[in-house]
Amino acid sequence: MKGTLQYITRRVLTSLLALVGVSLIVFIIVRVLPGDPARIIAGLLATEEEVERIRVAMGLDRPLPVQYWDFVTGLLQGDLGTSLRTRRPVLVELVPRLKMTMLLATTGTILGSLLGITAGVVGAARRYTRLDYLLSSGSLVGISMPVYWLGYMLIIVFAVNLRWFPAAGADEPSSIVLPTLTLAAFSMALVARMTRGSMLEVLGQDYIRTARAKGLAERVVIYRHALRNALIPVLTVIGLQFGSLLGGAVLTESVFAWPGMGVLLVNSIINRDYPMVQGIVLVYAVLVVLLNLVVDLAYGWADPRIRYD
Amino acid sequence: MSVLLHHKGSPGFGRRAAILAVAASLLLAACGGGGGGGEGSSAPAEFRIAIGIDPDTLDPAGQTTTTVQNIVDYMVDTLVDIDKDGKLKPGLATDWEVAPDGLSITLTLRQGVTFHDGTPFNAEAVKFSLDRVLDPNVTVPIRGSYTVIQEVEVVDDYTVRLHLSQPSPALMAALSTTMVGIISPASVEEHGNTYTNYQHPVGTGPYVFKEYVPGERVVVEKNPDYWGEEPYYDRVIFQVVPEAATRMSQLLSGQVDMIILPPVSDIPSLQQNPNVEVLLAPSNRTIYIAINNNDEVLSDKRVRQALNYAVDKDAIIQNVLFGAATKLDAPMAPSLFGYCPVGAYEYNPDRARQLLAEADVENLTLDFIAPTGRYVQDFQAAEAIAGYLEDVGINVTLRTMDWPTYVQNIQQPPDQNDLDLHLLGWAPGYLDAQEQMVQFQLAAHPPNGLATAFYTNPEVEDLLERASREIDVETRADLYCQASRLIMDDAPWIFLWYQSFPIVYSKDVTGVSYLPNEMFDAVYARPAN
Repeated sequence: MKGTLQYITRRVLTSLLALVGVSLIVFIIVRVLPGDPARIIAGLLATEEEVERIRVAMGLDRPLPVQYWDFVTGLLQGDLGTSLRTRRPVLVELVPRLKMTMLLATTGTILGSLLGITAGVVGAARRYTRLDYLLSSGSLVGISMPVYWLGYMLIIVFAVNLRWFPAAGADEPSSIVLPTLTLAAFSMALVARMTRGSMLEVLGQDYIRTARAKGLAERVVIYRHALRNALIPVLTVIGLQFGSLLGGAVLTESVFAWPGMGVLLVNSIINRDYPMVQGIVLVYAVLVVLLNLVVDLAYGWADPRIRYD
Repeated sequence: MSVLLHHKGSPGFGRRAAILAVAASLLLAACGGGGGGGEGSSAPAEFRIAIGIDPDTLDPAGQTTTTVQNIVDYMVDTLVDIDKDGKLKPGLATDWEVAPDGLSITLTLRQGVTFHDGTPFNAEAVKFSLDRVLDPNVTVPIRGSYTVIQEVEVVDDYTVRLHLSQPSPALMAALSTTMVGIISPASVEEHGNTYTNYQHPVGTGPYVFKEYVPGERVVVEKNPDYWGEEPYYDRVIFQVVPEAATRMSQLLSGQVDMIILPPVSDIPSLQQNPNVEVLLAPSNRTIYIAINNNDEVLSDKRVRQALNYAVDKDAIIQNVLFGAATKLDAPMAPSLFGYCPVGAYEYNPDRARQLLAEADVENLTLDFIAPTGRYVQDFQAAEAIAGYLEDVGINVTLRTMDWPTYVQNIQQPPDQNDLDLHLLGWAPGYLDAQEQMVQFQLAAHPPNGLATAFYTNPEVEDLLERASREIDVETRADLYCQASRLIMDDAPWIFLWYQSFPIVYSKDVTGVSYLPNEMFDAVYARPAN
């Protein structure tokens, strides 16, 4: 246990360093982009005088180091700054959107993983049969299908024609179904391929041969002995998938008008809303760091052969 | 995640935990989803509109975008209103009179009107609202239209006099905009509002602000004490749906009653659809290609006219814009005061080549930039236009970039600006030629403004200067007409079209109209039966 504690402490410290780096990089990158936030937010009809006034009100006329110092000192007090566009605190804008993205990413990952693991196990157990080929081709389609296309296909069939689900938005409990299916399609394909490969590798091991030789039913061999070990690398993939979905759900969020963080980030970049972009990127960075830590720990716990010291 | 870590060693732990997690998230979704649409017992009548942008502010003074103004207009009234043709009509002011010297305007206010918070509407409230718009401590991007007001005088409870620094015949039109909507003075200290940060509007309008969920929706509810005609719907919900195709799906699936700006390429099929009605409202947004009038070659009027003759606007409108625009026959849209039809440059590639030859132009290469997704089919139209220019022997390199980069590029000062052609749209804040003609004046050349064609003509400048002070309506209109003719002939732009503003709504609904400045007028919508 002590080794693990040391490991965690070291990881946390290096992560903090990484986050400082991220804050600096995102601060610079967003300001290097051409374009003047004051003019964009004020619109074309505003006079130069008003634009200048807005620029000053936003604090954008101050030297960069001063702006960065402001940003960092705010961060240390838990203040992510104020949105240039809405003049509301970044944190207030961000938290509800983060919850929505987490919700979608979670259900998408869970559904995708469940279906994917099932498909992968079945494919491995019935290797080279027609079912296996069917599932493998399905996986290929799932990975290749553009989210944008699949999303609208689901809307046309299930919302416009069948009217089973709302077309977009997050107003009703059933609103989550179509976006989840869209996200799960890709996730499932990835997990299925990983699971199948991992299962096949495990099924080729000696101890499986022993189990079979002992006369155990095939079902017991697969589920009790093989699956648990095969799932270890799959767990890692699922964890990383979840992380990428947090950021990559932008397309799904756009198609379904799901009020998540991805869409907020894209719009904030388009509007040059510096504090918003900084805040969101930092939050993502923290989440990714945490997620990686959790996945590594889970991997270490699940596989007794691995020890961190 | 932690659920997965707990059940060490038990068979099928992964599966059990996963099932638990799915159940948990479905529960979460059910709780987090909130109430559904208007189902249930005596349900309030709801009208749902899907719009494309997330409001940045609901403060009337801080408005910059017509769609958000459209929402605020449900709650906040203005002194004067405009009708479908852009003509002024009484709003919170029942009558107005401009002094003979043009230096003051006296407004008679409507009586018996109360704000949503119960306080009375009167001259003090008008003074408060207008003073606030002029207060430099308050963020008012479009303040420039109102700075001609020097002082707002309360003559009595229902009479206000505006004292101006110079005669401003355009001011009455400017008073129809949301920016000078009248708010309750007491409300700047309620509902979490402050004088400078006003997020919860309290006006005199037909609807009262209920809630704003950022990124999701604005909800307003019927004002039981409204001074005007009572609207039908108890509640109006504006849903934020950035993707045009998604808005269209929501309308077709019945999730919303009305949308704006569907995908333009779907307009023909929507027009065929028996379940929806398509309203192509004329707007005040002119789309044009600004020519760099400073450039050596392009400073020759013949070259610029050639560019105008070279482009077949009718074909582009039909095939690229699916009919959602009308060719320009003047430097402004017809809904503006001061418009007079001058005549368009008809498609004539031979004449274009002839003019280019007369101007001794050979092997001309032009750098052309256009935005993508900012205006209706902007980049697609630009590609077509580049094709037409190539047809008359001009080499065109067409580029696009994101909007903030684009704006920065076109606003470069003259000595750093070597753009040749760029596509732009201009929709004046109110329906008066003064706000449009600024694009042809030296004072607005970058970096001081957005007259990005760098065009100036002393004769035109003089006409526009006189028109800005001319109180006699007919004389003023004539001055703008003369200026329009000169400008059209000088061809500082490739004059393209003015956009239509597509509004699509369910056939189950009627009473949907428009205003000619990219706004829908659906306050008096009601079920069709």
